Amino acid sequence: MGQEIKLRVSNIEKSFPGVKALQNVDFIVKKGTVHVLCGENGAGKSTLMKIINGIYQPDKGQIYIDEKPVKISNPIQARNLGISMIFQEMNFVSEMSVEENIFLGRLPVNKFGKVDWKYVREHTLQLLKDENLPYPPDLQLKMLTISDIQMLEIIKAISYKSDIIIMDEPTSAITQKEVEKLFEKIEALKAQGACVIYISHKLDEIFRIADDITVFRDGMVVSTGPASETDINTVIAQMVGRKLSGDFPKEEAEIGEKLLEVDDFTQPGVFSDISFDLRRGEIIGFAGLMGAGRTEVMRAIFGLDSFERGKVKCRGQRITIKNVRESINNGLVMLSEDRRRYGIIPVRSVKENATLSSLKKIIRGGFLNAKREAELVGELFSKMRVKTPTIETAIQALSGGNQQKVILSKWMMCEPDILILDEPTRGIDVGAKYEIYKLMSEMAKGGKGIIMVSSELPELIGMCDRIYVMHKGRISGEIARKDFSQERIMYYATGTENNAIS
Amino acid sequence: MEAKAIMQTVLKRYNIYLVLLLLFIVATILNPNFLTAANMTNVARQLAVTTILAFGATILIIGGMLDLSAGSVLALSGVVAAQVFVDTQSLFLSMFSGILVGMACNFVNAVMVASFRAPPFIATLAMMTMARGAALLYTNGQNVLQLGRFSEFGQGSDPFFGIPYPIIYLFVLFLLTWYLLRHTRFGRSIYAIGGNEEAARASGINVVQSKYMAYLINGAFVGIAGVLFMSRINVGQPNGAIGYEFHALTAAIIGGTSFSGGIGTAAGTLAGAFIVGFLNNIMNLTGVSSFIQQIVRGAIIALAVIYDIWMKNRKTKSVLGSIENKDGSDKGTNRTIENGTTTDTDSGTKIDT
Amino acid sequence: MKMKLILAVVLVVALLAGCATTPAPAPAAPATPAQDAPAQDAPEAPPTDGEVFRVAYIARAQADAFAAWLANAVLEEAANYPNIEVTVFDGQASDSVVNTHIENAIVNQFDVIIVQPHNGEAQRPFVEQAVAAGIHTITTNARIDGIPGSSSVDADPFEQAAVNARVAIDQIPEGANVVVLNGPPGNFHADERRRAWQAEFFDARPDVTIVGEQIANWNIDEAMSFMEDWMIANDRIDAIISMNDNMALGALEAVRGTAFEGLLAYGVDGTAEAVLSIQAGEMTQTTLQSAYDLAELLLQTSYRLLMGLDTEIHVDVGNPIVTIDNVEDFIELHRRAGAIS
Repeated sequence: MGQEIKLRVSNIEKSFPGVKALQNVDFIVKKGTVHVLCGENGAGKSTLMKIINGIYQPDKGQIYIDEKPVKISNPIQARNLGISMIFQEMNFVSEMSVEENIFLGRLPVNKFGKVDWKYVREHTLQLLKDENLPYPPDLQLKMLTISDIQMLEIIKAISYKSDIIIMDEPTSAITQKEVEKLFEKIEALKAQGACVIYISHKLDEIFRIADDITVFRDGMVVSTGPASETDINTVIAQMVGRKLSGDFPKEEAEIGEKLLEVDDFTQPGVFSDISFDLRRGEIIGFAGLMGAGRTEVMRAIFGLDSFERGKVKCRGQRITIKNVRESINNGLVMLSEDRRRYGIIPVRSVKENATLSSLKKIIRGGFLNAKREAELVGELFSKMRVKTPTIETAIQALSGGNQQKVILSKWMMCEPDILILDEPTRGIDVGAKYEIYKLMSEMAKGGKGIIMVSSELPELIGMCDRIYVMHKGRISGEIARKDFSQERIMYYATGTENNAIS
Repeated sequence: MEAKAIMQTVLKRYNIYLVLLLLFIVATILNPNFLTAANMTNVARQLAVTTILAFGATILIIGGMLDLSAGSVLALSGVVAAQVFVDTQSLFLSMFSGILVGMACNFVNAVMVASFRAPPFIATLAMMTMARGAALLYTNGQNVLQLGRFSEFGQGSDPFFGIPYPIIYLFVLFLLTWYLLRHTRFGRSIYAIGGNEEAARASGINVVQSKYMAYLINGAFVGIAGVLFMSRINVGQPNGAIGYEFHALTAAIIGGTSFSGGIGTAAGTLAGAFIVGFLNNIMNLTGVSSFIQQIVRGAIIALAVIYDIWMKNRKTKSVLGSIENKDGSDKGTNRTIENGTTTDTDSGTKIDT
Repeated sequence: MKMKLILAVVLVVALLAGCATTPAPAPAAPATPAQDAPAQDAPEAPPTDGEVFRVAYIARAQADAFAAWLANAVLEEAANYPNIEVTVFDGQASDSVVNTHIENAIVNQFDVIIVQPHNGEAQRPFVEQAVAAGIHTITTNARIDGIPGSSSVDADPFEQAAVNARVAIDQIPEGANVVVLNGPPGNFHADERRRAWQAEFFDARPDVTIVGEQIANWNIDEAMSFMEDWMIANDRIDAIISMNDNMALGALEAVRGTAFEGLLAYGVDGTAEAVLSIQAGEMTQTTLQSAYDLAELLLQTSYRLLMGLDTEIHVDVGNPIVTIDNVEDFIELHRRAGAIS
């Protein structure tokens, strides 16, 4: 056992418009082993898993199971081939019971089409007993914790009698104790001869369970082989190894007085003891993994979410954070990470989107000054280099980059001192990214303070003066520009204890 | 190419008015009595109540809300106004109380929708039943009679030009709606809320306050419509105006107000109301049977909605196309819109999902 | 998302309404066959002093002005019967609600159930159920025909309109243009009244032209708009023939202050508004459907059934014509009802 090849992926390629997501991907998973996939986001891991699970079709290449070529056109087919996938973001109906969830989509029916609930109950009881799970089959999912549900997902996968189980970041939502339970389960699965494909960013934990490790970068396999032949440092280096592409238009700005001071900012269970400061002309970065609490901190500072305690000073003055309007009046604005959800009003014109937060400037004495509005927007758009057919065009018709620039224009029109930019370059193309960087530099030079939350390390390194790194709701490190390195950020971000890095 | 694009824009933006114009021309040809001062006044007078309701509905729908209680609240406001007139013989007090009742009911709507975040459909459905019950309770199920000068609101004309009062109300409230939507911060806020509530909040818009405003304005409009309705039929009828909320919605939707929120204008709704009005009028003038009239009215609504959706899809695509031609550098990311989901496939170093 | 929610709600509401109006599979349930009813009646028939009989009066809709008047008249009349106690239930203009009230009244063992149907055919099985349960049932305004064992008190809708039509033959001038306002199609009274006008008037007067005929659903506002349009389309309209007073009044509201003023207008019902309009010289005539007369007969019928004097009674009220000559009597009647101050 352990040497038979269960799954072989050969020469897979997949393109999305404008981007090669996967190129020439080969790797194998052996029976009774855990195969860990590492790589930054966008490296292609999830795309590959979706291909194996039948959600995407590859442009080229072949998948073999037990060395026989198979074609997987949809997840049901994948399930029939013994493949099941536990998704990172679990989709479940909270009103559903445990047994309904386990048999979701495959409820046994008799010949009249009536569900055989007796069978469902018996099998669920058996499964729960086998797994030593203490809850009754008719319990509603909403009564369970996320990790209970995660365990359920796992026993569900087992109940399919799958022998290839894909787990996408299964530990992102569960506690340390539950992680242990999960690892025990994985060991048990291995012993039964099933193989597990395990995707995780938590480098410290993957070495505990991995038999083999494959590292992805830019849609290609960088290295693949037994875990015993590599170590954490090598894997990190392989993950981020690519040289930074292009220069960042970082310009030196005069660093002035403190614009924002945050002290002991806490919302229990989300973030705690957050203290940092921002000076005029500075761009500071916030790095961290998903769920580290960066966005949550920023939303709370901006007045979108609540927090329990903490002091915030603006230009040396203590302020109380009441709502977004107040923050704008205090000269603080925030560009949200989710542009479609918190940024744009899709059906309205770019003009209206741009002036939405500064209506006082264009509505005077009870009447809208349409000419002034057009002038203001025109000026700003040429400064921000927004490309739009007319200012009356609906914003949804623009490209992502231009939408982002319109939203930036909206905030610039408020003449803020402090800009929080949460993932300002997410989902926009390279050219537009460069433009956004340039605008940031210009703003900093103009005496504004910028907080940049980003998951893209190169841009943080390229643009920031200082970087704060968050891990599990706390600031785990602060790095000055001269000490910037991707490895260093990753160590703080993953919570890895490593004294070798100075 | 340019001329064609301009033509398309004109068609897109003014299509509703073109339909109105077309209908107007066809009706004029079909019946010689159609294009007479008397008939035009007639149509406008008949439309006043529904159109005033439709202005309220337009504001609400733009903001992503709805008022199904309009017909019932109209009846309640109307009978209260009629009774107040009978008791006090004061036209002012009567109108004032009608407006007040309309606003009070819609304040309750706003509490349910804005503060408790109840779905507007359900909240106002509840108000629809409550207000009808209140109207019946208030009148003990009987009509309020012997209204005397109360009928002047709906049947009188101004002493200078002889313009019927309902038409004056219609025009004034049209201007008010236009002003509110076009010239005030409230208007911009309501468009933003309907277009994307979360983004509006994140832009510093006071969402709750704007929603209250919208319902209160709607309430005032419904109150005025109630007074006009009762005074026009010269009876305070507690079970009158059943289903008027749907006439109002019809006018708003035909007028291009989008049920998904964020889109709509006062002028469009006015045009929508007149399309329905002219259509009914010409069918009555030419003696089309009741049954066929209902089919035609339903078909018009269906066409308006299908057109709205079809246009929306096409608009996105065609504008996209034109940008792509102009600006090659943005090409790669346009799929964001077409797919409806953000696919982060740009190359870049990210450490999370 | 919003659209989806709305659709879902509409569907659910439609579904519920659909379920509710489906006749329940009830007739099989009652243990007592219909013919046993009199036998069962016997022990409780003798009126012992102090015993109070409970009567359920199920009104079509308290929101309907005539229905409300009738319900009030029934209560008023019941005060004259010390051993009869009437409880009024509001059918809320809905078949399902009316049917529910009938079912509840059966379960609560009322001695008499009086039903003013919203839609005769929808209530028929439930009334049959009440009969089967051995309860005296009376249908009124309008009666449900052909239920053995069930009594009825009504006005004859054909006759109500016919008495007007017979007078109109002499009043409406030669070669007249008339407009016709109809009630909701399928409604028994609406259809019968229109049939009466056809049989008694239009068939006898081929010289008369109908220049406009529409369904105004008993409503004032709808009738008003139709009349406004007809006045534009026609130079001359000599008479408004309406199937109820409400619509006639709506049309007259449109006529006021125009060149058409003074035309003839016929309605049915004799509502307070109509009577006032006749007094003011606007409406020509109407037939009174007197809620008082109906109420009187309803209570009489209930009493006779309870006392075991009859087992099944069918009776109609008269159809008095209201004109300017006798209008004062009817104004007095409405004053008594509190509709005119």
